[in-house]
Amino acid sequence: MTRYILTRLLDAVPTMLLVLTLVFLAMRVLPGDPALAALGDGAQPEAIAQFRERFGLNDPLWLQYLHFMRDMLTFDFGASLMSGERVAQLLVSNLGYTVELTIAAVLLGIMGGIPLGVMAALNRNRAPDAGFRVFSLLGYAIPDFYLGAVLLIVFSLSLGWFPISGAGDGFADRMHHLVLPALTLALLKVAFLGRLTRTALLEVLGRDFVRTARAKGARENRVIYRHALRNALLPLSTGLGLSILSTLSGSVAVELVFNRPGLGKLLITAITERDYPIVQAGVVVFAAAVVVVNLLMELVYVIIDPRIRVQ
Amino acid sequence: MLINRRRILHMSVAAAAASLAGPGLLRAQGSDRPIRIALAATSPRAIDPIFSTLGADNWVNLQVYEHLVSPPNGRFATQDDEYRPMLAESWTKSDDARTWTFKLRRDVAFHGGHGTLTPEDVVFTFERAMREGIATASYANVRGVAASGPDEVTFTLNGPDPFFLGGVISIPSSLIVCKSAVEEKGENFGKEPVGTGPYAVERMSSSGVNTLRFDGYWGEPPKTARIDFLYTSDTTSRTLSLMSGDVDMIEAVRAPGWVQQIRQQNDALIVDQTQPGSFNTLFFNLTKAPFDNPLVRKAVATAIDSAVVAQALAPFGAQTWTLSPPDYPSGWAAEDLPEDLRYDYDPDRARELLAEAGHGNGLNFTASISQREDYRSIMLILQELMRPAGINMNLNIMDHAAFHGANRQDANSLVLYSQSLPPVPLEYMSRYLSSAAVVKSDGTGGDNFSHYGIAMPGVDDRIEAMRQATTVEEYSSIGREIEKKVQEDLPLMGVGNLGYAIVRNPAVDIGYQVESGYARWRLDLAQRA
Repeated sequence: MTRYILTRLLDAVPTMLLVLTLVFLAMRVLPGDPALAALGDGAQPEAIAQFRERFGLNDPLWLQYLHFMRDMLTFDFGASLMSGERVAQLLVSNLGYTVELTIAAVLLGIMGGIPLGVMAALNRNRAPDAGFRVFSLLGYAIPDFYLGAVLLIVFSLSLGWFPISGAGDGFADRMHHLVLPALTLALLKVAFLGRLTRTALLEVLGRDFVRTARAKGARENRVIYRHALRNALLPLSTGLGLSILSTLSGSVAVELVFNRPGLGKLLITAITERDYPIVQAGVVVFAAAVVVVNLLMELVYVIIDPRIRVQ
Repeated sequence: MLINRRRILHMSVAAAAASLAGPGLLRAQGSDRPIRIALAATSPRAIDPIFSTLGADNWVNLQVYEHLVSPPNGRFATQDDEYRPMLAESWTKSDDARTWTFKLRRDVAFHGGHGTLTPEDVVFTFERAMREGIATASYANVRGVAASGPDEVTFTLNGPDPFFLGGVISIPSSLIVCKSAVEEKGENFGKEPVGTGPYAVERMSSSGVNTLRFDGYWGEPPKTARIDFLYTSDTTSRTLSLMSGDVDMIEAVRAPGWVQQIRQQNDALIVDQTQPGSFNTLFFNLTKAPFDNPLVRKAVATAIDSAVVAQALAPFGAQTWTLSPPDYPSGWAAEDLPEDLRYDYDPDRARELLAEAGHGNGLNFTASISQREDYRSIMLILQELMRPAGINMNLNIMDHAAFHGANRQDANSLVLYSQSLPPVPLEYMSRYLSSAAVVKSDGTGGDNFSHYGIAMPGVDDRIEAMRQATTVEEYSSIGREIEKKVQEDLPLMGVGNLGYAIVRNPAVDIGYQVESGYARWRLDLAQRA
């Protein structure tokens, strides 16, 4: 197993190197000068020249690339061009907020999506199924920044139950601040995981082993949750992996609407400001997250389905 | 229907209308609560005058640090006698306006037990600002600054500067810092700032800055114990925060209809606005067709109804007739300008001018513009205004950094440029009109996007004469001459100003009326009603 994990991690190295190269080039190809972004639209030529010199932006591209790769390989992410703060520190201080938001949204998605999917599958073509399909369509259709604004208006502004913005201090306050952003992201997850559960379960419910279980006189709940759902988990776990990754990348709009700190907001701001070190390091973190989540999902397959063995 | 963030904001606020007009704002009351202000920024960068480029950071700077002198609360000073003593209790200037001496106030304490203000702190502040930071060029006329007595500093200038108080002494980077604190904290000074202002920084985080009343403040104690500056870039979030009473003031969105929308929800909201705010200047690139032809430039000027532009941007918009607004030292009012230099709106005349220029079938060209609300809105208004005159301007809408990057590389034919400028004409004339500041394709040039003075004779000689002027009257008179010459040559034109505004909960009184000035103001008199 250890060898398998190491092999998979080594497989990811060329991917990561390609990602690093692409993000380096993308930032340099994008029009817009980080010096102007940092110093303001009205920055004077002297200040711009000083800034570019200070941050090595006048060096030839190949030299910048070598410095960049050296820094990345030694995990030296450098300092923000805008604030001078260490990028590693910025990533660490923001990562926690995005992780907690992702976990909360995915948990809510699982808790809402799987039972609803089961309910829809068991009531196929009846009213609950139709209701769920309408709900899931809405879940896919409503943009998260719009849903976030609506939730803010109803639950924060009108009812005053939740804070308008920020991420809070201390555990209880942070959880309080987390509810609406997590609900916003969870809606799509409920729709997605619910549909996936419904489809997978409908496919499994017609199989022989389910009929056998029923014929043996097993209770319906046991048939559904112990036999059928367990066998439907494989496609569901794939969907869950995708869902986690989409939450990581999709947190941007929610972090902006709720004015929460987080990796998405940090990255979007850095792209707008052409803050190369943050963008480069942020993309590395996202790429690493994709590698790790994919690996974890592959390991989960092995646990879920004993027929799959690590070669 | 196009769904964009602004539409979402409008829809959101409208949806909230019925249920929340009053109760949220009432929540803002209570004398022990901090005053909270949400500004359009993502996170603080540096609370250090020589490195602060973010508007929100400059708001904090103004509470934490102080200048030697100050204009009256809520407006720019346009005459020397309007300046108030601040860290300097008095000042004198030589007859040739080349030597300025300031007598410092005694017993002014720095935050955090960093001692009291000395002439060395002032000398250090200016030498640091002249040597490093974002505005070193602003000090080009300063030959030296030295302690000339136990409580006195003297500035020696290379050339006369009758506007020294409104210029070098009042620019954001000349707020006075504590020498020992800068030396002690090094690169961390921007995170642990030390000034003499009414508020000291208590805490900085990625979402804002909390400030606390400085008990050792030399002046009248600030009315409110705490002021929190929240960095909230999202307009929806800022608006909802104000409507719910979570914050007391927010930076306004300078887009058509925004103020009217939120006032529909609560007409008691107060809009504090500086005029002129940002100058919106349209630069014609004289090196590129069709704007190398003066008739085309005149046609464009005649096709734009600046009154309509100002009206569309109400209440932020204001009309101008030359580069500067009429109340600036070199500005012209419409009635004082010769009729042929007013370029009154006349689409028929614009068509005639185009025909004379060889564009009888109309004119097509492409201009790049930033996607930022204020830039985009103004350019879209201009696009519509010019259409009846047969001028079809295609817009290439870009992200903000890319737009300014393209402008700095001389890649645009018609550049809209928005800058907040003080009433010191030499500063913006040097930047916009001098041949030394011409834009360059390698990005190392300045803000003269027209190539004025290079592509055609400009006003370099007059700018130099202005630098040698020793009185405000002489200086202003040359400035007005320059503006008139620019109206004749038309390398650029003012398309109106856009005020900077803060929308305020009526439960908070800031203690004075905001009329003009930079896009920030002191809050030491602010308190809950």
